[in-house]
Amino acid sequence: MAERDVRFIHEAEVLANDAVAPGHLRMRVRAEEMARHARAGQFCMVQTARGLAPFLRRPMCFERILPDGFQLLYKIEGEGTRLLAEMTPGTRLSIQGPLGNGFDAGPDVARRIIVAGGIGVAPFPALADAILAACGEPPEVVLAARTRDMLLCADLFGALGCRVHLATDDGSAGERAYAAQMLERLEPGPDTRVYACGPIIMMKTTADVALAAGAECHVSLEAHMACGDGACLGCVVEAREEREGERMVRVCVDGPVFDARIIDWEARDHAHDL
Amino acid sequence: MKNPVTVASGTFGYGGEYDRYFDVARLGAVTTKSLSLKPRPGNRPPRLVETPAGMLNAIGLQNVGIDAYLRDKAPFLREKRVPIIGNIYGATPDEYAELARRLEAEDAADAIEANLSCPNVHDAQRATGPVLVSQSCEAIGAYTRAIRAATRLPLFVKLTPNVMNIQEPALAAEEAGADGVCLINTLLGMAIDAETRRPKLSNIVGGLSGPAIRPVAVKMVWDAARALRIPIIGTGGIACAADAIEFLLAGATAVSVGSMSFRQPDAAVQVVEGIEAYLRRHGIGAVTELIGAMQV
Ligand SMILES: Cc1cc2nc3c(=O)[nH]c(=O)nc-3n(C[C@H](O)[C@H](O)[C@H](O)COP(=O)(O)OP(=O)(O)OC[C@H]3O[C@@H](n4cnc5c(N)ncnc54)[C@H](O)[C@@H]3O)c2cc1C
Ligand SMILES: Cc1cc2nc3c(=O)[nH]c(=O)nc-3n(C[C@H](O)[C@H](O)[C@H](O)COP(=O)(O)O)c2cc1C
Ligand code: FES
Repeated sequence: MAERDVRFIHEAEVLANDAVAPGHLRMRVRAEEMARHARAGQFCMVQTARGLAPFLRRPMCFERILPDGFQLLYKIEGEGTRLLAEMTPGTRLSIQGPLGNGFDAGPDVARRIIVAGGIGVAPFPALADAILAACGEPPEVVLAARTRDMLLCADLFGALGCRVHLATDDGSAGERAYAAQMLERLEPGPDTRVYACGPIIMMKTTADVALAAGAECHVSLEAHMACGDGACLGCVVEAREEREGERMVRVCVDGPVFDARIIDWEARDHAHDL
Repeated sequence: MKNPVTVASGTFGYGGEYDRYFDVARLGAVTTKSLSLKPRPGNRPPRLVETPAGMLNAIGLQNVGIDAYLRDKAPFLREKRVPIIGNIYGATPDEYAELARRLEAEDAADAIEANLSCPNVHDAQRATGPVLVSQSCEAIGAYTRAIRAATRLPLFVKLTPNVMNIQEPALAAEEAGADGVCLINTLLGMAIDAETRRPKLSNIVGGLSGPAIRPVAVKMVWDAARALRIPIIGTGGIACAADAIEFLLAGATAVSVGSMSFRQPDAAVQVVEGIEAYLRRHGIGAVTELIGAMQV
């Protein structure tokens, strides 16, 4: 079927698509209209092939929102991201968005700490930009990954003036520690808002530390998606309590950013890993 | 209907979800997500798996319930002046009848589509296979008669493809007073993660949809059309106008676009426009001339 521009679906142009670490790439696309409306923490749905397979679009958050488009930072996971990685500058890419709620970058708390695990760092450069713009000072950043190679975006955060705390599971760079342990050392308090994105277990333990310290904790979740728009009900996660008669929340429209307190983390443990 | 194209239940929410992409009034009708008397939470996640040129879903009929539909969702569609096909799901014939009665009484649907074929609302681990109402001609008769008696709105019965001979359930619906049938609901399927050995859906079993199922659906429509006097809404893997025309040629009177709206939110209007272009290109005056017009 002929692709075309309709509202919220754009034929974006790939401007650059380069490896940043083994199996990880950064893609810059031109999509002015979408960039004007996009907020940090929102995402888009990317069509990875013109034919009908892969059938579904892939959700990707905005790593950075630029005047003429945005940057995506992605990990090659399967067929869809493999096809993305093959795209060369000049390629036309159908993207749908911006979708989802986005982060609250507001200045209503005294201290802001970003906690990123692995590719979970992807939405945070845009958030750091937004926080700097809204609060006049950069957030602190805990950057955790399995190994040194997978510590992404450290230079970006550094350039924004963020204090960056590195940690690796194997000790190949920074501290040999998990993200939640690093957060604990930073002593968050009731005046702190923690933003977390990464593997489920990392978000759960980070939320435990933040909430125990009386801090707010906002997590950005992932789920398999079909529509990205609230229509298919495929992307739900279980909440701790009913809200307006619903116990399931949709990651695509109610999230992807949630207050960690509303998520039923035990259910997430039982749900299969993505 | 001003054109023969609607959207498949469960792939278009309650219509408002797609308002930002295009004017839903351009469709022949909007078909709602299956509505039940009480809100349903649906199955636990994960509920989706992508498959070659399609997908498996096990949503489990999560919906807001008839009250919230009437209060919050129907007014939008009424304001848009687009015909509404109210898709309903109940546990008993009485529940279906009650749902149809309420939709008619509150003027919240122009036609009823009874979903007698959802594969996702049973305990997959206990049953050897889902027992769907539309796998039994007797049950189809009983459910259809109950709904028929409750409403004067046009009544479509949506059937499962998981049967030996589609003509039998289709005829059972016709004999019990249905004004049409909708073919097909999803095909039963499952997927297992080879690494973890676990099912990819929490419900284990799900429904297969998307372009992968289109040839199966076209064949079912063709089979049913030769046995029925009542019209058929053809559904299953429609991605473009040519796909929709295939269904018309096989004997469908109208079509619904399902999973393709996930990939391309305005897929259904592209089908509307594509059919119009096809008619012009072939010098055909009315789309009805295409119905069952396959040449062998
Ligand atoms: C809101 C949101 C934002 C995201 N942002 C990023 C990002 O910025 N960078 C990045 O690298 N990844 C991101 N992801 C994850 C990314 O969508 C998946 O890695 C990608 O869909 C995998 O597709 P694939 O074809 O390569 O893998 P396959 O495993 O072949 O995909 C098969 C199916 O599973 C789905 N799927 C597989 N893994 C995931 C996952 N982790 N999350 C959701 N769906 C998945 C695919 O979309 C597809 O439908 C995000 C996910 C969500 C929900
Ligand atoms: C996510 C999803 C949810 C669905 N929900 C319903 C539903 O609530 N009621 C129903 O009658 N059919 C439901 N269906 C079936 C579709 O209406 C349609 O019959 C089927 O998907 C085949 O069409 P397609 O291949 O074009 O998607 C659903 C399908 C999908 C993919
Ligand atoms: S992806 Fe369809 S409802 Fe969220």
